[in-house]
Amino acid sequence: MRNISTAMQQVIDGGLRRPAYKIYAWDPTAATISAVVSAVGILSDPAPVDLTPYASDLSWSDRQFVFTLVDPRGLFHPDFGEYRKYLMDASIVRLLEGDETVPEADWTVTFTGQVHGQIGWSKSRNAAKMTSRVTVFGRGETQAFKRRKVTSKEYTVGTDLGIALYDMCKTFLGLTKNEMRIPFTLGRQFKHKVNQLSQVTPWDGISSLLEVVCYQPYFDGEGKLSYINKSLHRPPARLYENGDRIVELNVPERSQDAINKVTVTFLDSQLERVDGPYQKLGQAQVTTGFFSMHERLETWWSEDHKQRADGTSMKVIKSVNSGLLPVGSERYTAVDEFHGQIDVDISVWVPILATVMLAEYLLAAKAPDRTSQTVVTVPGMGSTLVAPPMGGPVEGVITVNPTTMGQWTISVGRVLQAQALIGILLIMMSLGSAQYEVWGTPYDYAYLEKKSIAIEDGLDYWLENNLDIKNDFIGTHDQSDIIAMTELIWQKCLGAPRKIAVADDPRLEIGDIIGLPDGRKVVITGMSKTIKRGEVSTLVLDGGKVFTA
Amino acid sequence: MSIRKIIDWAIQDARGQQVGNIASPFYQYFDYEGHWVWACDVDLGDEQVIRCVPVAANNRELIYAEQGRAVTLSRLNNGKWVITGLAKSLNSTVHYIYMSFTDDTYTIMGKSLRGFVIRPLTYGELGTLVPPPGYGTLPYGVQGKFRADGSFVEIVEQH
Repeated sequence: MRNISTAMQQVIDGGLRRPAYKIYAWDPTAATISAVVSAVGILSDPAPVDLTPYASDLSWSDRQFVFTLVDPRGLFHPDFGEYRKYLMDASIVRLLEGDETVPEADWTVTFTGQVHGQIGWSKSRNAAKMTSRVTVFGRGETQAFKRRKVTSKEYTVGTDLGIALYDMCKTFLGLTKNEMRIPFTLGRQFKHKVNQLSQVTPWDGISSLLEVVCYQPYFDGEGKLSYINKSLHRPPARLYENGDRIVELNVPERSQDAINKVTVTFLDSQLERVDGPYQKLGQAQVTTGFFSMHERLETWWSEDHKQRADGTSMKVIKSVNSGLLPVGSERYTAVDEFHGQIDVDISVWVPILATVMLAEYLLAAKAPDRTSQTVVTVPGMGSTLVAPPMGGPVEGVITVNPTTMGQWTISVGRVLQAQALIGILLIMMSLGSAQYEVWGTPYDYAYLEKKSIAIEDGLDYWLENNLDIKNDFIGTHDQSDIIAMTELIWQKCLGAPRKIAVADDPRLEIGDIIGLPDGRKVVITGMSKTIKRGEVSTLVLDGGKVFTA
Repeated sequence: MSIRKIIDWAIQDARGQQVGNIASPFYQYFDYEGHWVWACDVDLGDEQVIRCVPVAANNRELIYAEQGRAVTLSRLNNGKWVITGLAKSLNSTVHYIYMSFTDDTYTIMGKSLRGFVIRPLTYGELGTLVPPPGYGTLPYGVQGKFRADGSFVEIVEQH
């Protein structure tokens, strides 16, 4: 409900009224609508032109203001009029309504808007008057607000939605704080880490932000950005208890199906973990042995190192110990959610033994095959001494082959070498390739798309008439539940339209609830009237029946 | 509501894209034109799962996506849905609020939580969900459909 001066209030409540109005127009090349709206009272610098003496047939609504301009001197002719700039494209026009008994400073600004395009103007030989039909549109009708797509800056989690709203209004609508009647904080915060409005019209962006608190934006009579509260849990702004100010009460025909289901969809702010089936995530293989004390194998769950997994474990397909000797140990460690590592440790004794055996092999190679006089005993033939070079001292085992009568010497060195070689070969035979697999549960994060659906109880599927609302600024199911319910009640309210004509009351605004004599309530969604000099206008209120709990 | 609003709804309803969750492993099926195509079942959050949704051409890497992953579905000119890519959002739970309107009052009749999760059964569930109790009745890896509150709905058959 609009605040008006005490003097005006007394006149309206007193019932004895001498209505008056003033129409002012500003040159858009000298003043901006922002300056006009922000000014306290009527902006005097630059001074406006008073159109009141020229205006007649005033038709007012909350969206547009139309009047006939009688211009005998051609002052406003679009081509040569002296004051043509005051009614050119983007000219700013204000309507003040008050009473002749009240100073103009106490009057109420009931319309602020701009001329869009060019005014009509005609001069007729038959009539002495030169007239012009002027249509002024409210600020909410500015097409640039609703067609141009913009991207806002980013807002971090916890920022109040009101801050983003004010930024949007300042950056993309050119509004100052003085031009806004919306609270600076809305009591709702961004829930996502990074928040931006992207490729939306400024008006849609503002509407989305206000939707979270069940508000709907509109520009009021002063040209300030205000809101309609769709939640109808509030007392009536005006009670018509005895109905003496009600001129007419209509229940208009409405031949459309009403909305009976509202679906509110939002993205949960928390990323939800989505598990995949348990599966092989990676594999590794290695060839190792005495030449390597330690091998570290890194396994990633995807080639791009981006896949996450949980509950990972190693399956040994072929162990490093699958050779002749157990030469080491193998273990798996999950490093992080993206990869793990397999460590293969070769036992210390393996390289040491290999080294020792190699050294022994080398040393044994130096063991000489020395010979001297040697007693050779041949069975049946007695013993004989064989001197070097045919005989000599022999360190080793002399074996006599009784069948061939021959003999040969196996040197000590060879035996030692063979022993070392067996050791080396054994170790070498124990090296080989090991194969491992890592299994686990892959997962990723996704935003959950949650919904709240308010629906008429007992509604059959084929009778549903759904209204979809998508808004990612909603953070919780509780918030979306409230929005769904409020919107369904609002839609039911719009589905039961009422038209009420009352004696003009400048206190009433869009979104106000009025109480009727029978106790029912109506929320105002539109207003219009015809203004005549010295006559109390009849204000026609369009609205819907209020449903209460 | 204005004509423009109704047109906006019509445009929105005619949008050719949906987000769903993969509700089965990928499999090949023999389509009516006689081709083997990769497909899977997709859960759009409704009571019924969409069966045999083929993967769009040149998106073969999609078949490596795990069950439960969010995918985008596009509608072809003939009205069929195909899987065209991965999505970052996932259908989740739905709050239902039932309201009753009489004359100029309204009443909240009740609330319920809906939503389904399709996932492989755990080891414990394999032996207990379907009578008679014990292992062996259900094969390892079988999919189950559960409500948002965790209660079991049905075994999802695989093709």
